[in-house]
Amino acid sequence: MGTPRRVASRLLEALVRLAPAGSRDWALAMLGELDFIEGEWASLLWAMGGATAILGHAALATLARLKRQAKEGIGMNNTGKKIMGVSIGVLTALMLAGCLMATLRIAGILFPGLYGEHPGWLDWLAVLVIPEATFICATVLLWRKRGPVAAGILATVLVIALHIGVHLAMR
Amino acid sequence: MRLRLSPQTLLVIDAFLDQAEEWKYGYDLSRLTGLKSGTLYPILMRMAERKLLETGWESGEPGKPPRHLYRFTAEGLRFARTHAAGPRAGRLGQVALGLEQA
Repeated sequence: MGTPRRVASRLLEALVRLAPAGSRDWALAMLGELDFIEGEWASLLWAMGGATAILGHAALATLARLKRQAKEGIGMNNTGKKIMGVSIGVLTALMLAGCLMATLRIAGILFPGLYGEHPGWLDWLAVLVIPEATFICATVLLWRKRGPVAAGILATVLVIALHIGVHLAMR
Repeated sequence: MRLRLSPQTLLVIDAFLDQAEEWKYGYDLSRLTGLKSGTLYPILMRMAERKLLETGWESGEPGKPPRHLYRFTAEGLRFARTHAAGPRAGRLGQVALGLEQA
């Protein structure tokens, strides 16, 4: 057995072990065919295609289950939903703040002229003005329909503002 | 019954209709239709989930994984004959001759 076939075999064996119950039989089915595939590289391609199929199948099954649970309102009580909403808000705000800061930093590196004679203004724009303005707008827009998410964003705004206040006081 | 009848799905249906009562292996279906495993197996999964296919296992040599077998259920056969009665011979023939990109 050559290396490609051995890798293919290991890949499908791992899938048999790791795949969710609903997809495991299919991984075993692909593994069962491996010995009959002509060509070493063809067997590796077979396994890689099979892995894609299994991952897709498992992802779709999980998505369908989550949709069903959401529709039936099971799996999470009211408190759980609120905690989930606040977490989503915080994570979204942090990700957005990170992206904005990174974008402005990269812009500063690519276009050094942006800094001009006042190098500090870009930092203020990145860490304070744009994120805070965006978050406050998002909080206002989401408050009625997605209260917990808006609360999460607002909490992040307050934490960032507090952080900046402490930073300024220390300086 | 919802099953998206893509050209690839029709190829698989054609392959099953060829000696419909016989069990078929995944790799043989792949060779017959020209479909890669990443395309073929999702189709087989959907057909099995919709009870159009029945599946079985063939145990081989000791220490070797069993082979999965497939064939139409009665419902699947009805479905296939309804949806693939027309240009059936043409599609697989084209694949065999390399005239159609599978």
